Amino acid sequence: MIGQFLNWLDARTDYRALLLPLRRRVLPNGPSWWFTSASCLLWVFVIQLVTGLLLMTTYSPSTTSAWASVHYIEQSPSGAFVRGLHYFASNALIVLFVVHVARVLLSGAFRPPRELIWITGLLLMPLVIAWAVTGNPLSASQKGTAQIEVEANILGSTPVVGPALRRLLLGGDEVGHLTLTHLYFLHVALLPLLGIVLLAVHLQQVYRHGLAATRWAESGRARPYWPYQSARNATVLAVVVTVLVTLAWRFGAPLEAPADPNLTIQPRPEWYFRCLFELRRYFTGDWEFVATLVLPLAVLSFFVAIPLFDRVCSAKMGVVARVFVVVASLGAWGWLTWTSYARDWHDPDYLAGQDEAAGWTRRARLLADRGQIPPDGAAALLRDDAQVQGPILFAQHCASCHSHADAAGKGIVAAEPSAPNLYGFATFEWIAGMLDPAAVGGPNYFGHTKFADGDMVSHIRGLFADVGGDEADELRAQVRRVAATLAAEAALPVRREVDRRETEAIAAGAALLTGKLGCADCHMFHDQGELGSAPDLTGYGSRDWLLGMIANPRDERFYGPEHNDRMPSFSQGGHALLNSRELGLLVDWLRCDWHDTVPSSDTGASPSVGR
Amino acid sequence: MFHRRSMLKWISGALGTASAAVVTLPGGHFLAEALRARRSKAIVQRVARLRDLSPGRPLQVAVVGSRRDAWTLYPEEVIGRVWLVRQPDEADERIGPPPSVAAFTAVCPHLGCTLQLAQPGGQFVCPCHRAEFALDGAPLAEPGRKSHAPRGMDALDCRLVRDSDDDDWWVEVTYEKFEQGLTNKVSKA
Repeated sequence: MIGQFLNWLDARTDYRALLLPLRRRVLPNGPSWWFTSASCLLWVFVIQLVTGLLLMTTYSPSTTSAWASVHYIEQSPSGAFVRGLHYFASNALIVLFVVHVARVLLSGAFRPPRELIWITGLLLMPLVIAWAVTGNPLSASQKGTAQIEVEANILGSTPVVGPALRRLLLGGDEVGHLTLTHLYFLHVALLPLLGIVLLAVHLQQVYRHGLAATRWAESGRARPYWPYQSARNATVLAVVVTVLVTLAWRFGAPLEAPADPNLTIQPRPEWYFRCLFELRRYFTGDWEFVATLVLPLAVLSFFVAIPLFDRVCSAKMGVVARVFVVVASLGAWGWLTWTSYARDWHDPDYLAGQDEAAGWTRRARLLADRGQIPPDGAAALLRDDAQVQGPILFAQHCASCHSHADAAGKGIVAAEPSAPNLYGFATFEWIAGMLDPAAVGGPNYFGHTKFADGDMVSHIRGLFADVGGDEADELRAQVRRVAATLAAEAALPVRREVDRRETEAIAAGAALLTGKLGCADCHMFHDQGELGSAPDLTGYGSRDWLLGMIANPRDERFYGPEHNDRMPSFSQGGHALLNSRELGLLVDWLRCDWHDTVPSSDTGASPSVGR
Repeated sequence: MFHRRSMLKWISGALGTASAAVVTLPGGHFLAEALRARRSKAIVQRVARLRDLSPGRPLQVAVVGSRRDAWTLYPEEVIGRVWLVRQPDEADERIGPPPSVAAFTAVCPHLGCTLQLAQPGGQFVCPCHRAEFALDGAPLAEPGRKSHAPRGMDALDCRLVRDSDDDDWWVEVTYEKFEQGLTNKVSKA
């Protein structure tokens, strides 16, 4: 049945005659493991085409959808595997390319009449690199976006054509939607077309010149290509595929946090560009173009011109020269790459930055895994996340006066603290500390402020001044009840359970606060006391209270215009230092109020607020 | 006969060229849109209160504005970052002339990464290629080699204005973008 169909097909297309030279192809010196690099490269290329087409079914290029669609692929059945395979095969393509070029160089297979094989092959190398360069940023991840920005700027510094090339790559002057559509067009349309044209010429030439020498040679080693060489090819391919599948299965392709211009990272190029990255250390200032333009082009031109040099070399010298070129190229590449990585591994700033970026990646993946990507895109995940934005806003706006550091000093420490330490603000422990005569005037509370000798400090000290023994223990217990009452006013998510359980202590504390302990003499608390001399304790530390306090501490409800120390009004009048979104994020972070309220151990800055 | 033959050749060539042109010319026009340089406008904005700046301690502030990305309009976004450096000046701001404040765009003049304040804060550093700058924006050479930066940090026009409502001094900057990688400062506006 199948045979009949093939006969029918052959009668119409004559395909058997076309394939005959392939089937009859003979290796005059017999099969060799050396020759496997070419077929391996070809089949990895095919893997790239197939996995790439599969990814295209789901990927969506735009700044709002790119990261989200890649994350969707990661969560789809076998999606992470297909993407991982695409990622590792792209790296394998570059490695195999180098191996193949070295093999061709050492075996002298570039000699006439095979110059076109050599040149088209070498031109495929920058193409494969360009393929990787246009592919990496498609996820619109922090790292990929930072890489393409720098790469586009390097391209832009090329004389004359640079600015135009940069705009063509980025789709405009800045990274945006059109950057992704342009990169996508290059990655899945233009570069594959160019690659297929080069590959077609390459294979046609191999076919033509490879066959020129294929007559049954006299030597006893001669063997037909099929299946002697094919078996070796398949063996090597199987090994490569096993490695790729293992890597894809075990690790998958990386997906860093979505790009956000507000979160700065220390971008580094991929491993194959590390040598150029290192090289530019030696060519700074006006000489930079040597590292970014002249040397890469010079190396490529040198390799293209090797058949010319070969002609003037004696056979013996030629072998030495070719071995030297291979060893020297790999040596220089390896040394530059190693030096660059070693420098980063010994740079504590860089390592800290990597840790921070890894934290953002984990956080973005966690939020996205829960299906919380909003219509404005994945960038909003971290932009609207209090856990990520809180420490950044605090460091930028608050940390010139306030620290946010635990007892061990871990967290954000102000250079010159001049205001209370806000770590665990409005928690039971924090309020109990403020009501502790030993701590209230100390560095974590009012010690560095103009209230260091104020009414609050002297009132707390006064309460405890003349009591001792059981009476002091009783007073301490009462103060703890007041702390529980005020902590309940804050309604912190981490204390929700405790607040629900301890209704009696909270009610008792409220009575003590307005009665015996005399807090309401200065502070207002619900319907007791008056505003004007000290902050309102109604809803103390609640979201609404903190929003108001940070927006304008000079308001009557807080310190008032006379009593306020140096704290600026962050959101009042026409020119706000913090907009309402930032203010909300800062408050939510101070209150440990984010999507997953249980503070995770991997963020150093988040206080673990317990009982 | 000869005339007819050359005429037919000519007609084939002309019609073929015309057909190709009808497709490629608008195609080229469409592609050229991406190559068109877009001027960015300078923005004048109050970015910080003077009293929030400590002498010699740089503060990074954001410039907020609307941004268009192809088909999306972002009405309010951070479109740039500025480093403010208040000069160590002992004059009392209430009686003497207000102290001078310098403003620099946080875009590295080398390849456009965002400049950071190096710890413990005596200089600026670029996270990409580790170009360093003094607090006055001048490039700092590494020992034994020139700086990566082709020029110093780009200073922005900056002035102090007094708010009519709260009587506070504010720092107002003119934010603009500059071409990267050149030895001289060329505005993109």
